[in-house]
Amino acid sequence: MKIGLEIHVQLNTKSKVFCNCPTAVNENPNTNICPTCIGLPGAKPVLNQLALEKAVKAALALNCKISPETFFSRKSYFYPDLAKNFQITQYEIPIGTQGKLENIRIKRLHLEEDPGALIHKGSITLIDYNRSGIPLIEIVTEPDFKSPNEARLFLRKLITILEYLDIYERKSEAAMKADANISTTGEKVEIKNITGLKEIERALEYEASRQEEEPAKIQETRGWNPEKGITFLQRTKESESDYGYVFDSDLPLIEITQKQIKEIKKTIPELSLDKVERFKKTYKLENEDAETLASEKLLAELFEKIAEKINPILAARWLRRDLINILNYNKKSLKEIKLDAEHVIELLTLLKENKINDATAKEILIKLIETPFSPKKHVEKEGLEMLSSSEDLEKMCREVIGKNGEVVESYKSGKEEAMNFLVGQVMRLSKGKANPKETQKILKKLI
Amino acid sequence: MNLTEYIQDVKSGRISVVKTISSILNEAKSSPEHFRVITKQYALERAEKIEKTKEGRLAGVPISIKDCICVKNIESSAGSEILQGYRPPFNATVIDKLEKEGAIIIGKTSQDEFGFGSFSVNTKKIPKNPLDLTRSCGGSSGGAAGFTAFTSHPHLAIAESTGGSIANPASFCGVVGLTPTYGLVSRYGLIDYANSLDKIGTMAKTVKDAFLGLNVMAGHDEKDSTSLSQNIDKEKKVKSIAIIKESLDIDKEIKDLILSRFPKADIISLPNIKKYAIPSYYLIALSEASTNLSKYCGIRYGASENLKGSFDEYFTSVRSKYFSDESKRRIILGTFARMSGFRDAFYLKAMKVRTLIISDYQKAFKKYDILISPTMPIIAPKFEEIKKLTPLENYMMDILTVGPNLAGLPHMSLNAGFKDKMPVGIMLTSNYLQENKLQFLGEKIENRS
Repeated sequence: MKIGLEIHVQLNTKSKVFCNCPTAVNENPNTNICPTCIGLPGAKPVLNQLALEKAVKAALALNCKISPETFFSRKSYFYPDLAKNFQITQYEIPIGTQGKLENIRIKRLHLEEDPGALIHKGSITLIDYNRSGIPLIEIVTEPDFKSPNEARLFLRKLITILEYLDIYERKSEAAMKADANISTTGEKVEIKNITGLKEIERALEYEASRQEEEPAKIQETRGWNPEKGITFLQRTKESESDYGYVFDSDLPLIEITQKQIKEIKKTIPELSLDKVERFKKTYKLENEDAETLASEKLLAELFEKIAEKINPILAARWLRRDLINILNYNKKSLKEIKLDAEHVIELLTLLKENKINDATAKEILIKLIETPFSPKKHVEKEGLEMLSSSEDLEKMCREVIGKNGEVVESYKSGKEEAMNFLVGQVMRLSKGKANPKETQKILKKLI
Repeated sequence: MNLTEYIQDVKSGRISVVKTISSILNEAKSSPEHFRVITKQYALERAEKIEKTKEGRLAGVPISIKDCICVKNIESSAGSEILQGYRPPFNATVIDKLEKEGAIIIGKTSQDEFGFGSFSVNTKKIPKNPLDLTRSCGGSSGGAAGFTAFTSHPHLAIAESTGGSIANPASFCGVVGLTPTYGLVSRYGLIDYANSLDKIGTMAKTVKDAFLGLNVMAGHDEKDSTSLSQNIDKEKKVKSIAIIKESLDIDKEIKDLILSRFPKADIISLPNIKKYAIPSYYLIALSEASTNLSKYCGIRYGASENLKGSFDEYFTSVRSKYFSDESKRRIILGTFARMSGFRDAFYLKAMKVRTLIISDYQKAFKKYDILISPTMPIIAPKFEEIKKLTPLENYMMDILTVGPNLAGLPHMSLNAGFKDKMPVGIMLTSNYLQENKLQFLGEKIENRS
């Protein structure tokens, strides 16, 4: 099986690629528009230099060769979301060529404009041009994937890199689209316009199994219906559309100098794949921990700050397991919250010094996600310090033993699990402050 | 009275702007179809304002605007039916510049639809040559040239050339037509014909007037990425001139007239231009034009129909109904030339030939400051003659004007004499940004006649 991808990613510039309109999501249709992005006669495109720089940055991060001279072309096709009925894109000479990400070869990377959006309402279709002219980069891979899953893993890595480069934001699923080509035993089949990571894998899996049953006899283009989870025939090779590319002479030749490339290279941070290796080497992390921590730039930065003061293994465990669980549960991202590394350091120090137990630490972390505060002061103020080997703890153990005679008996008769129940009861009585290890020790001694 | 004298009189109060404007508006109305739109109300209001302020380098100057240049809230349809009724929500950069200097727009001049033609007959409102109403004004800026010849008032016409649309009608109507270096004047707000060729220029009765207008419009515009950062070179001295040999293979009377103007001039051969300029020009211009015209699909502006059928059926019905035959011919030719399988042989080849032609000119300019040729191979034809021309014969009319247009070189046509009582134009071409040399030699020719 051979799979190749054409990935379209929206760049996170503030203004559109050929005009000054904002790119921010706007609920009111056709408000972020101007003569240029709705294609009024006489309006002209002017290239947003930042969009160009971001595209070059992406090409460099994907180890592409940068074309010293590049230009824009018009790709002609009639479609109602396309304001001019041609798209300004790059054809002969893209910004980047011959790149590589791990074992996947990147054929080309170019800059282009997003069309508007069609909104279907029953029998009526409305057009919203707010999206028209948002910068896109198209990344084309060679057919190097051997399975749908491999394609999905690649896309994850790609997205992480683009986020690290600060050129892409996961605003919505629509911010990333792909066309995929897949051939199993028969001819190549292209699936057009799939939105989102999961859908790309689903569409490829469906198409792989479909082709297993009926191998494609001729090259064809298919669409993806996410509701039904099926692909459908759009056209065969014979009726392939011809885009009749011409140079867009409203936009002059672009020169990308070695000096510019050097400047842009300076802005590329250490990327996730390098980070994983470094985390494994420097902090002796497991591969999985390192990958998770490096998958998000902010998380990786938070980890490294904490790891300066706290045992990296402990820090990794708390960030990768507890913090991510809490964030996922609350449907929040690290970017949205104000989590201070110093506070996490305090929290983990309390934990390490056995001043609080895991349960208390977790409770505090949940609160830290809501609002910043000093965990140390909080523990002192609320009296959350762990009870260990104190008289209080022994008193509580006695109380639990007294109330749970039957459980004590079953423990005595060899049921080890009974001990867990007893420890749990002590925890409850102490409102979570008991040191579980100490408690177990005392219980065993008393029984 | 030339424009400079008129502006002085406006500033000193010797001439009433309002009276001049009312009078020229009447002329515009009575002109033989030189205007597609007359902006009477707008012009009179502006006239009253300028009468008070008397400010600007063009204070009180009536200007006509070729229909393809967008004027805010005033119908701008590039002579087409598909854009009939379209009022742009913004001004072309040149309009802002001209109005800032006190110019007063009196209307939009008639033209071939989207500039597609050499005689201004590919449109509903066909301008007639004021020297002989049975003859064409030329095209595509026919209305601009026609009215420049027709009016008895000071007046500046703002026109546009893609392959000769300023020089051609200037020649047929016996006025000055000035096309600047590509990129000297911003194209922002110009309804595109072919983006790599379109140039806004001026027409007037005198060389000086044409330059007065150009100097107001010239200069960098950040809204047009192809607009130049340099302005016109200061050097104006013309040391050497040559007549282009191949341009003389035409009507003997026209040839002799041109030669008699410069009996001592060198003759230079530029064979590539004669052989390849027309095919190269039409392939490039129409390839670009066919993409520029795609946006007219009856959805956001311009002509529309009842929404019926699929999008493909809908836009096809609008385009079939509202584009003229000439537009359809050019869309088909242009689309064909850029389709895969033909693109290499036609569109890309034409682009290569274009650089060849440019280098031929550059070689010539190493030796000569100005190249001279007749502007048109014929005098203004009669409408009945035009009807008999095949499309190819039509396209061949541009043989002398496409060269400098394809190369983006500044050129100016001015009257050199008459044949059968109709004007014969002489065309001067200089190197990039050497417009001052055109003015220098142009004024000399004017003074000699």
